[in-house]
Amino acid sequence: MSVATDILHTNVQTGKETIKMSGQKVCVHYGEKQALFDVDLDIVANQVISLIGPSGCGKSTFLRCLNRMNDTIDICNVSGEITLDGQDIYDKAIDVVELRARVGMVFQKPNPFPKSIYENVAYGPRIHGMTRSKDELDELVTSSLRRAGLWQEVKDRLDQPGTSLSGGQQQRLCIARAIATKPEVLLMDEPCSALDPIATAIIEELIDELRENFTIVIVTHSMQQAARVSQKTAFFHLGKLIEEGPTEQIFTNPHHKKTQDYITGRIG
Amino acid sequence: MQIWLTLLAVIVAVGGLYYAGRSRAFAVTNGDATILHSNPAFHGGMVVISGMLPAVFVLLGWTIFSRYFADASVSALLGEEFNALSELEQGAFLRSAFGLSQSQQIGDVSSLQNKAIEGYSAFFASTTLILQLVLAALIVGGGYLAWRQIRTDLRARQFVERAVSFALIAASGVAILTTLGIVLSLIFESINFFQKVPFFEFLFGTHWSPQSAFEGVGSDTAHRNSEVFGAIPIFAGTLLITTIAILVAAPVGLMSAIYLSDYATPNVRAIAKPMLEILAGIPTVVYGFFAALTVAPFLRNSGESIGLSVSSESALAAGLVMGIMIIPFVSSLSDDVINSVPQSLRDGSAGLGATKSETIRRVILPAALPGIVSALMLAISRAIGETMIVVMAAGLSANLTANPLEAVTTVTVQIVTLLVGDQEFDSAKTLAAFALGLVLFCVTLMLNIVALRVIQKYREQYD
Amino acid sequence: MANASNEHIVSSYEDELTALTRAISEMGGMVEVAITNATQALIRVDHDLAKQTAKADKAVDDMQRYIDEKAVSMIARRQPMAGDLRHIVSAIHVANDLERIGDIAKNLARRVKHIDSQRVSKQLYNGIRHMSDLALAQIKRSLDSFTLRDANIALDVCRRDDEVDALYISLFREFLTYMMEDPRNITDCTHLLFCAKNLERAGDHATNIAEAAYYLKTGENLYYDIESGKVQLN
Ligand SMILES: Nc1ncnc2c1ncn2[C@@H]1O[C@H](COP(=O)(O)OP(=O)(O)O)[C@@H](O)[C@H]1O
Ligand SMILES: [Mg+2]
Repeated sequence: MSVATDILHTNVQTGKETIKMSGQKVCVHYGEKQALFDVDLDIVANQVISLIGPSGCGKSTFLRCLNRMNDTIDICNVSGEITLDGQDIYDKAIDVVELRARVGMVFQKPNPFPKSIYENVAYGPRIHGMTRSKDELDELVTSSLRRAGLWQEVKDRLDQPGTSLSGGQQQRLCIARAIATKPEVLLMDEPCSALDPIATAIIEELIDELRENFTIVIVTHSMQQAARVSQKTAFFHLGKLIEEGPTEQIFTNPHHKKTQDYITGRIG
Repeated sequence: MQIWLTLLAVIVAVGGLYYAGRSRAFAVTNGDATILHSNPAFHGGMVVISGMLPAVFVLLGWTIFSRYFADASVSALLGEEFNALSELEQGAFLRSAFGLSQSQQIGDVSSLQNKAIEGYSAFFASTTLILQLVLAALIVGGGYLAWRQIRTDLRARQFVERAVSFALIAASGVAILTTLGIVLSLIFESINFFQKVPFFEFLFGTHWSPQSAFEGVGSDTAHRNSEVFGAIPIFAGTLLITTIAILVAAPVGLMSAIYLSDYATPNVRAIAKPMLEILAGIPTVVYGFFAALTVAPFLRNSGESIGLSVSSESALAAGLVMGIMIIPFVSSLSDDVINSVPQSLRDGSAGLGATKSETIRRVILPAALPGIVSALMLAISRAIGETMIVVMAAGLSANLTANPLEAVTTVTVQIVTLLVGDQEFDSAKTLAAFALGLVLFCVTLMLNIVALRVIQKYREQYD
Repeated sequence: MANASNEHIVSSYEDELTALTRAISEMGGMVEVAITNATQALIRVDHDLAKQTAKADKAVDDMQRYIDEKAVSMIARRQPMAGDLRHIVSAIHVANDLERIGDIAKNLARRVKHIDSQRVSKQLYNGIRHMSDLALAQIKRSLDSFTLRDANIALDVCRRDDEVDALYISLFREFLTYMMEDPRNITDCTHLLFCAKNLERAGDHATNIAEAAYYLKTGENLYYDIESGKVQLN
């Protein structure tokens, strides 16, 4: 009996969990409208955490707080504290440009730039001046494409436009583009919602591999996807964080009735 | 009064046909309109179309060809005295007689002319009634034929559908034919011109003074004229002014477009964009006197103060003002184009840590390039075609110079000066206007083609 | 259905879940009847009833297969989550246990023809009847705990399993005494002892069902909870 329970619980208790990012009492207002209410959420290093919840519950909003993408929206106002490695990212001393290089983002719809595949990946390193020579840049582009699992497919056509790739390839190109700036955290906002099952599976496999080097926060509408790729799951509802915990627990035995109702598809 | 009567007749005819078709459709169903294949309205429409369309065609045909019949019948009437005239004179005679017959007051005319006028009047008086009867018969007959076909399973809806597509084709046909007609007339008149002035002399001659053109017949006319119809100076002038205008409009327009689309708050945008567009609504003549009375003296004064001699009418003044005039074309179109670059690209770039201006420079502008190019092309066509500002600010003298501080002239201005005043329709001077028009047309066409090519090329890559 | 007061958005899914519970109830009823009949046949030495009972097990087996298929197809088509997932998985478990109880009933019925009724004392049969009643009560309550999703009933069933075990031990002693008294009783007593053992097994299956019901309701493993002291059995 005790052996069995040990096996059951090893998954959850692998070693020490270091907290990479953390939100404390995060509130977000869009003008008058409050979109997030006192969200407290820790993001553990080298884990995948998925944010689930009905549309409009504030998942993207929270995600966009993590790399201050909300700064680009004039009416958006963030309060509370969000830290990256213990440092407040909304601090005056923080350079947003540098923060976004450290906390990369992949969007719902693949959005390759109207440039060649090579230029797409080289974009981040170029604007941040990350490489000293052309060779170094080549090397970085190649390794990013490799890690995004796209190298084999595009190595002979790096000068073709990124938009000429298929949807799944485009999304991997966007992932390659994001990891080329060597981020520590990767934010993904519904990265597979526009892809077919095979492309989705490839991306999921990729996410699993990327976990070794990155901390990943993924917003998804697919319960199955959250269950497949993530170690932690957080459920949002109407701007509040309802429940957060190990993925197994959330999907087999959620503690909160709202979570249960949402993931089993019942009217809340 | 007559026009209202005609209109009334048409309305009555259409209404009657429609009503007849509709009520017949109801009648054949014994009151249950649901069993009809098409709505009763379509039956009405079908009867209207069948009745009116043939009549319209006959009327159109008559309008075009009646003159030939009338001319034939009148010249048959006139006899010897008329036949003695040369062919050209006969045509002119008939034209003037026809014109007189249409007008109320007929002044002093010769007996022959009088005869011709009466001939025309008689011809049209007799044919008008016949025409009216024929039209009425066509309307009633066509309508009746369609009306008789109405049954529950008649596909009136498809008939109307075909008529609609036919109407659409006809509409685009009008546009195409008009263009074709204009181009053809340009070409034929230009050919006339090139018989008087050699083609290459016109295109590559460096001296332009058509006012001193020699009118007459003789072996050296062509030679003499080739010296005064050298169009290079005015092409150069056009190029110079257009270049200056684009140099002003492209950066200013583009930058204001970028400001409007990416930097301005919604409130500023809501005010600034319409304001910019008002620029496009200012009449060009206003720009013209603005250029001549304000900008040119200003340039002259400031030029003099640093020791430059600026003529009071300068390409620079005209170009500057023209550039300002076309700013809204560049900015408004570019703004739309830049706005239509998906937000996701901006987000993607910002998400990688790019600043706003980096994003614009490296992502937005390349993506919007096709649209920006077409905006610039439109602006260039507009600049090339602009006349008023040049007339007022750059002068009429065809100098061959690259100095923007001197007076130059442009193709459009020269066309205007060639055509104002009294001259024979087929003189070299008048025909030169057609040749210039043709060249202008070719240049704009080429610009459009180039713009389309650019757009296509980048479309393939970026969409 | 205390846990799922809300209807599923997809009503056909809801219907399937309900049908699954109904199939379990139905199967439970069949199994209860089988145990009752087998015991009756044993006590009254009714060979016809015994045969009939053994035959009826086929229906229980079919029912289990039906429930399995339904559950698998629901997992494949609906990708159940949380409560629904536990519902389906525990339905598979419960059906499995019920099928085993059905087998036990068949086993009991088969023994009828081996027992020489003339020689066996009525007292022995009383012990078997008592055992059977107790096991049936356990099965009934465990099924109740499943359909009602009541963790307390489930705990109660587990608690009472000790009673069944105790009864079995005392019966075992009794049979041993009889066998020692008169060696001619050995064959019959051994058969009856096996019957008692089988009924004790049926009680164990009832606790399995209760355990599944506990998991369905709470999402936790009952024995893990007992070990960690979260719940007390006695
Ligand atoms: N740019 C914005 N301006 C105003 N309101 C917004 C904006 N973005 C999101 N919201 C509001 O914030 C709430 C949360 O949105 P979002 O985070 O996008 O939800 P989710 O990603 O979970 O579907 C929604 O009610 C939405 O209407
Ligand atoms: Mg979202």
